[in-house]
Amino acid sequence: MSFDLSLILDALPKMLMGIGLTFQLLILSGFLGLVLAILVMLMRISGTWWLSWPAQAYIYVLRGTPILVQIFIVYYGFPQLEFIRESFLWPVFRDPFGCAVVALTLNTAAYVSEILRGGVLGVDRGVLEAGEALGLSKSQRFIYLTTPIATRLALPAYGNDIISLLKSTALASTITLMEMTGIARTIVAQTYAPYEIFVSLAIVYMILTFLIQKLLARIERFLGRYTIRES
Amino acid sequence: MTNAQPLIQMKSVGKHFGNFQALKDINLSVSKGERIVVCGPSGSGKSTMIRCINRLERHDEGQIFIGEIELTDDLKDLNAVRREVGMVFQSFNLFPHMTIVKNLMLAQRLVRKTSKQEAHEVAMHYLERVKIPEQANKYPIQLSGGQQQRVAIARALCMKPEVMLFDEPTSALDPEMIHEVLDVMVDLAKDGMTMICVTHEMGFARSVADRVIFMDGGEILEQAPPEEFFGNPQRARTKLFLSQILQH
Amino acid sequence: MEALSGWWDDYFWGSVVVLQVFLASLVLMVIFGLIGAAAKLSSNRVAQKISGAYTVIFRGTPEILVILLLYFGSAITLTAIAQVFDPEIKFVDVPPFWAGTFAISLIVGSYATETFRGAFLGVKPGSIEAAYALGMSSVQVFFYVRVPEMWRLALPAFGNHMLSLVKDTALISIIGLNETLFVAKQAIATTGQPFTMYIVVGLIYLSVSTVITLTVMALEHYGNRHMRIAA
Repeated sequence: MSFDLSLILDALPKMLMGIGLTFQLLILSGFLGLVLAILVMLMRISGTWWLSWPAQAYIYVLRGTPILVQIFIVYYGFPQLEFIRESFLWPVFRDPFGCAVVALTLNTAAYVSEILRGGVLGVDRGVLEAGEALGLSKSQRFIYLTTPIATRLALPAYGNDIISLLKSTALASTITLMEMTGIARTIVAQTYAPYEIFVSLAIVYMILTFLIQKLLARIERFLGRYTIRES
Repeated sequence: MTNAQPLIQMKSVGKHFGNFQALKDINLSVSKGERIVVCGPSGSGKSTMIRCINRLERHDEGQIFIGEIELTDDLKDLNAVRREVGMVFQSFNLFPHMTIVKNLMLAQRLVRKTSKQEAHEVAMHYLERVKIPEQANKYPIQLSGGQQQRVAIARALCMKPEVMLFDEPTSALDPEMIHEVLDVMVDLAKDGMTMICVTHEMGFARSVADRVIFMDGGEILEQAPPEEFFGNPQRARTKLFLSQILQH
Repeated sequence: MEALSGWWDDYFWGSVVVLQVFLASLVLMVIFGLIGAAAKLSSNRVAQKISGAYTVIFRGTPEILVILLLYFGSAITLTAIAQVFDPEIKFVDVPPFWAGTFAISLIVGSYATETFRGAFLGVKPGSIEAAYALGMSSVQVFFYVRVPEMWRLALPAFGNHMLSLVKDTALISIIGLNETLFVAKQAIATTGQPFTMYIVVGLIYLSVSTVITLTVMALEHYGNRHMRIAA
C-alpha cells in the first residue's frame, strides 16, 4: 500500500474549488443563525409564556436530534408536503443549497441562542442594579449594560459553535452539494485512495479551524481589553 | 431645617422574603438636609429598608413617599423617582466595560437627556470633587477599591439627586482606603446633601449624623441624635450592639 | 400514516442498533478521554504533545470525514494486510458498526479529554493535601478523593458528550449501518413518504436524548446533594 503524493497534488486543487461553497454555507448559515438565535433568546428570556415555551420547544427539538436528520427532513421531506410545494418559498426548498442553509441555520440558532442566554445570565447583577438605581429603563439597561458584557462572555462558546458549523457544512455533501467533502468523496470513489484524499482534506479543515480560532482570539482580546489591569 | 413636606416618608412599611419577615412596621421620616445613619447587626433589615426607598426591593405593606409621589406597582415613571435618589453600593457596581468618565456620563445622557458636552463637564466636575480627575480614561479594574467607590459616589452625584443612599459603602474596602471614602461623604454632608447611610463606621455617625437609627430583627428599635444615641442608649439590645461594635 | 405500519419492527431494531452503538462508544469514549486527560496532565512532554495532537485533529475535522476515513481506510489497509497472507482475497471489510463506533468514540473522546482534564484540575488541592496528611496512599487518594469530585465537576459537560455520541450515530448510516436513518431510507424507497419517515427517525432520536438528559439531571441532583443541604 503506497501513499501517493502525486494523487494529493492532483486532487487538492479540485477539492479546494469547493471551498467557495463551504464558505458560502458557513457565512450565510452563521449570519442567519445568529439573527435567529438573538430572536429565540429574547423570546426565551421574555417572561411571557407564549413566547418562552415555543422558544424552549424549538431549542429542545433542534438540539435533541441529529443534524443529518434535520437536513434530510428539509431536503427530502419537505417536498412531500403540499403547502411547501405551493408556497412562495418553494425555490429555496427545491434547491439543495437552500435546504442546506435552512437546516444549518435552524440547527446553529438553537445552540447559539442558549450560548447567548448564558452570556446574558452571566452579567453581574450588581452592575444591572446600579443601572436601575441611576434610573435607566429596562431596555436601556439591556442595550448599554447587558449586551456588551454578555457578548464578551458568550464569545468563547460562540467560537466553538462556529467551528462546529464549519464541520457541519461537510454534511451538505450528503444532499449532492459539491463543497469540499462532496468533491473529495467523488474523487475517492474514482481513485480508491481514501487515505490520501481524506487525510489531506482533513488537514484543510484543520487549517481553517486554526484560522478561525486565531480570528476569534483577536476579537476576544479586543472585547476583553477592559478586563486587564495593566494599561 | 424644617421643610413642610419631608423628602422621604415610610409609613408602617413591611416586607417578606417568602416566610421570612425582613421589615416590620417601619416608620421613618427624612427631611431635606438631614443626615441619617442606620446601624444594626447583620440581617436586621437595614439594606432592605433603603433598597425599598428606590424600589430595588418592593415593599409588601405600608406606604413609601418620595416627596409627594407614592411608590406603588403602577407608578408610571419610576425612573423619574430614581433620578432624584442616588445610591452607592457596597460592591461599587461600576460598569466594567466603560471608562470612568463614560460611567459617569451614561445615565446623564440616557435619563436626563443631557448633551454629550455637558455630561462630560458635569462628570469631570464631580471627578474633581472626589479628587480623582486623572483616572477619567481608565477602566474600573485599574482603580483601587477606594478609588472605585469614590467614582461610584461621583456617578450618583452626576444625576444631581435630592437624596443619597449609602448601603455599607466602606464594608468591602481594605482598612487603609476607608477614610478616603468617608472624607468624601463628610464633604458631601457639609454641603447640605440629604443622606441616609447604612454603615458600621461609628466615628462617621458621631461627627456627621443628625440622627442615628438602630435596627434589629426588621424593626427600628431606637433613633436619636448621636450624643443621645451613643451617650444614653435606651434599649438593652442597642446597648449590647454598641458594646460589641465599639470595643476597638 | 398507514405507510408506517409495515415498518415499526424495522425501526425498533434500528433503535436497538442506536443503543448498541451508544453503549459501545460510551465505553470507548471514556477510555480515550481518560487516557488523553492523563497524558495531558502528566509531566511527560511526549505524552502531552501526542494528546495535544489528538485533540487538535479530532476537534478540527468534520465527523463525517473521520467516519469515511476510518471505514474506507481500514478496509484498504486490512485488505492489503490480508493479501499478504492470501493473495486470493479481494476485499476485507470492517463492519460499519465497529468502524463507526470507533470513529465517534475517537471524536467525542477528544472533547472528553478536555472535560476530564479540566475536572481533574478543578479538584481542590486542599482536599488532596488533607487526604495525604491523614495518611492515605496515592491509590486511595485517587479513588476516594480525586475521582468522585472529578465526576461531579465533569458531569454536565459529560452529559453533552453522551448526547453527541447519540446524535453522531445517525452519521454512521452513511456507511451502511442499519440504524434508524438507514431504515428510513429503505422505507422511503417503498412508501414514497420521506417526511413521515424522517420525522419518525427524529422522534426516536429525540426520545433517546431526552432519556439521557433526564438521567444526567438526576445524577447531577444526586451528585450535588451535599451542596444543596447546606443552601
